[in-house]
Amino acid sequence: MGTVTLEGVHKAYGNTTIVERLDLDFPDGSFTVLVGPSGCGKSTTLRMVAGLETVTSGSVKINDRDVTALEPKDRNIAMVFQNYALYPHLTVLENIAFPLRATKTPRREARVRAQEIADSLGLGKLTGRKPKELSGGQQQRVAIGRAIIREPAVFLFDEPLSNLDAKLRVETRSELLAIQKRLGITSIYVTHDQEEAMTLSDRMVVMREGKIAQVGSPAEVYGSPNSVFVATFVGSPKMNILRGTLDGTTFQTPEGHSWPLVSQHRGDVLVGLRPEDLLLTADPAGPATITQIELLGPRAVVSLQLEGTKLTSVVEAGALQGLSRGGTVSLDFRLGSAHLFDPMEETRLPG
Amino acid sequence: MTNARILGSLRNAFLFFALITVLFPIVWVALASFKTAPQLNDPSLLFFEPSLLNWRFVFEAGILEAAGRSALVAGITVTISAIAGSGAAYVISQYKAGGAATRFGILAAQVLPPAVLVFPFLTLAYVLRVNDTLLPLIFAHLSFVLPVVTWFLIGFFDSVPKSLEEQARVDGFTRFKAFLLVVLPQVYPGLGAAIIFGFTLSWNDMFYGLILTPSRSAILPVAIAGFNTFRGVELGSMSAAILVAVIPVVIASFFIQKRLVQGISGGAVKY
Repeated sequence: MGTVTLEGVHKAYGNTTIVERLDLDFPDGSFTVLVGPSGCGKSTTLRMVAGLETVTSGSVKINDRDVTALEPKDRNIAMVFQNYALYPHLTVLENIAFPLRATKTPRREARVRAQEIADSLGLGKLTGRKPKELSGGQQQRVAIGRAIIREPAVFLFDEPLSNLDAKLRVETRSELLAIQKRLGITSIYVTHDQEEAMTLSDRMVVMREGKIAQVGSPAEVYGSPNSVFVATFVGSPKMNILRGTLDGTTFQTPEGHSWPLVSQHRGDVLVGLRPEDLLLTADPAGPATITQIELLGPRAVVSLQLEGTKLTSVVEAGALQGLSRGGTVSLDFRLGSAHLFDPMEETRLPG
Repeated sequence: MTNARILGSLRNAFLFFALITVLFPIVWVALASFKTAPQLNDPSLLFFEPSLLNWRFVFEAGILEAAGRSALVAGITVTISAIAGSGAAYVISQYKAGGAATRFGILAAQVLPPAVLVFPFLTLAYVLRVNDTLLPLIFAHLSFVLPVVTWFLIGFFDSVPKSLEEQARVDGFTRFKAFLLVVLPQVYPGLGAAIIFGFTLSWNDMFYGLILTPSRSAILPVAIAGFNTFRGVELGSMSAAILVAVIPVVIASFFIQKRLVQGISGGAVKY
């Protein structure tokens, strides 16, 4: 059971603001991912919830109790670090049982509980080993075991998967999600990987330069990004942005290329198009040139040059016929897929 | 012969030469300690009937008591140094306490010749009526053992990831408990080496002992120097006494040689 509330949480070193007046609610049992480019303040936010970093102003509440001034040990939280921070001098079992030493749990009971958790994580046979005798994935699970043994109010994860290789990362990701759903413990997860954020979260918080850029379910954030920053940060390959003008029925770029685009909005605009919404047709007289084709199995990423603008398109591998490097194509927008942004503010425009 | 092999033989020749240079005085002293006075006049004498006269004389002159006092001084000095030094080294390493200059500045006292420091120590001991006891000597030894032990440990603490302490704090421990239960165990090998290293420093120091505890509570190096009498150097007895002082150090160095190099070269503990 745990809700976390950040009220006007602010962090600054001298004149450098790291996190700016953050207001955020983490409902009980939710899985929230803080995501953003490095230096956006997401890790600092997590560490302020943990109590490892002091808060310049504002307050942190866990279960409606103000914990702003409390030491990490008094906050009833558990944390998994990027490098797992397993205690090298202790065995797997001792590592998992270690938090219970702080609560003065009898040694025998601690061992029994640690063993149960080790079994549930598939570490049952490894309990006598030292951390350095384990693989990366196993170390990761020991760190999770140590986090869940205290039955904390909140789980904090600081890029816990980034030290694993790609295949293991995907597996561990779904394991982690299953564990969190089973225990129903409120979790805050920090990552710079937007794909990880999309697959894990009930709710993602996109951060930029110490501020919240957008909060919402992954579908909302992906489907209607509220700014050019969020639009290009979430989704891979990233969204194409075209500058031009709208007259109600067509969109025209300064170079004179135009596409039909029905909208109530008129005047200068930025049009965002997901790569899969940019359709290609081989055309000797087409305006765009193919600079590169990367085949990813069923689909391919096609890089294009349109006058001075670089564009990306994702096409089905079957539709690659007729497309080759150096060839020209004509472009079409998938109907109703364009995102419109204000050219100055870079914020989302309705319609 | 290839270049590598020539280099190899050169290296071996050099090491052999170095070994002889180091071993020669020790072997010579060891031989001398078993010689009678007339035999001592013949340094080239290698094979002779060993005599235990020198050894008996040295033990009757109270060399063991002096060694005991040396061990006591070194033991207390190094215990204090290990406790204060590990804490100091940790905050210097992880929290940059005192700024970047502290790292090496801590050794600044080493630059002062002991002759500068010994007079204040002596005066203080007189004023406090503890002159010619081991107490001022312990403080004098702390002035160089503590900085060296601290400096030695900084490199070992550098290689402990900071997240280890943070993890322990999140796991429900105070900062001090986190340090004691999680961080300190990571540097046990370095701490062990530092303790032996510091002990040796104190054990070998003669200058402070000579001035602060000249008579009643003479420590081992001072007692050894005592064999340089007005009748000339008692070579045989002195040799035996020297061996009493050297043997523990040789044994200790054997145990810490690897860590010693590691500590001096900045420490790199692999996990």
